[in-house]
Amino acid sequence: MNKVFKALADPTRRRVLELLRRRPMTAGELSEHFAVSKPTMSAHFNVLREAGLIDAGKQGTTITYRLRLSVLEDALLGFSQALGIGLGRAGPADEAAPELTKGTTS
Amino acid sequence: MITRQIGSAVAIAALILAVAAGLRFAESVGMIGADGATRTMQVLIGLILAAYANFMPKQIGRARSSPQAESVAQAALRVGGWSLTLAGLAYAGLWAFAPLPVADIASMIVVAAALVLSLGYALWSFTTCRSARDAAAGR
Repeated sequence: MNKVFKALADPTRRRVLELLRRRPMTAGELSEHFAVSKPTMSAHFNVLREAGLIDAGKQGTTITYRLRLSVLEDALLGFSQALGIGLGRAGPADEAAPELTKGTTS
Repeated sequence: MITRQIGSAVAIAALILAVAAGLRFAESVGMIGADGATRTMQVLIGLILAAYANFMPKQIGRARSSPQAESVAQAALRVGGWSLTLAGLAYAGLWAFAPLPVADIASMIVVAAALVLSLGYALWSFTTCRSARDAAAGR
């Protein structure tokens, strides 16, 4: 559950989940919505995948992500969006995943 | 994965039987009344329904043939999960706090309405998806 809280604490990751709520998307399609580097987005996807909030399916070289939220996780996402948790941070990465700041080019 | 799912289902079934036996014993020795035993059992059933339905949207299964089919399936699971989770919580709440004759009827209505909503939404969305696919294929 701690991984879920960490994953939902970041606004970029919450935005990824909001986008996946519409339909499954490839890593490239998702990255187009954010002004951050691909390694940073990839790290965000890993955090979400490790928390079990998204599912990654590989077809050739394309990775397609699908939403995998329980009702409770969905409610937590809604609450954190409504409360704007993590919006005051300077960058897309947070303390929950300090590794995201490494190797970014944005 | 399947073994773990079966294991947890068997554990929950054992819990229900153990609680029912415990309540029966408590009732026979006069620790609780018959109403209390019934309410406790029904609250437990409602909470188990809510817990199971909570994980329903996570059962996404294999990838579908098209993104549209995927989003329809995702939406159907989400609506089903939310409606049955809320129905389970309402069921437990009714059996915990409402007068017994009210809880008896209202709890059934709540769960039946959630089932109708879940199945109705799934049928409607799959029919709409199929119609759109047929129209696109010119059939």
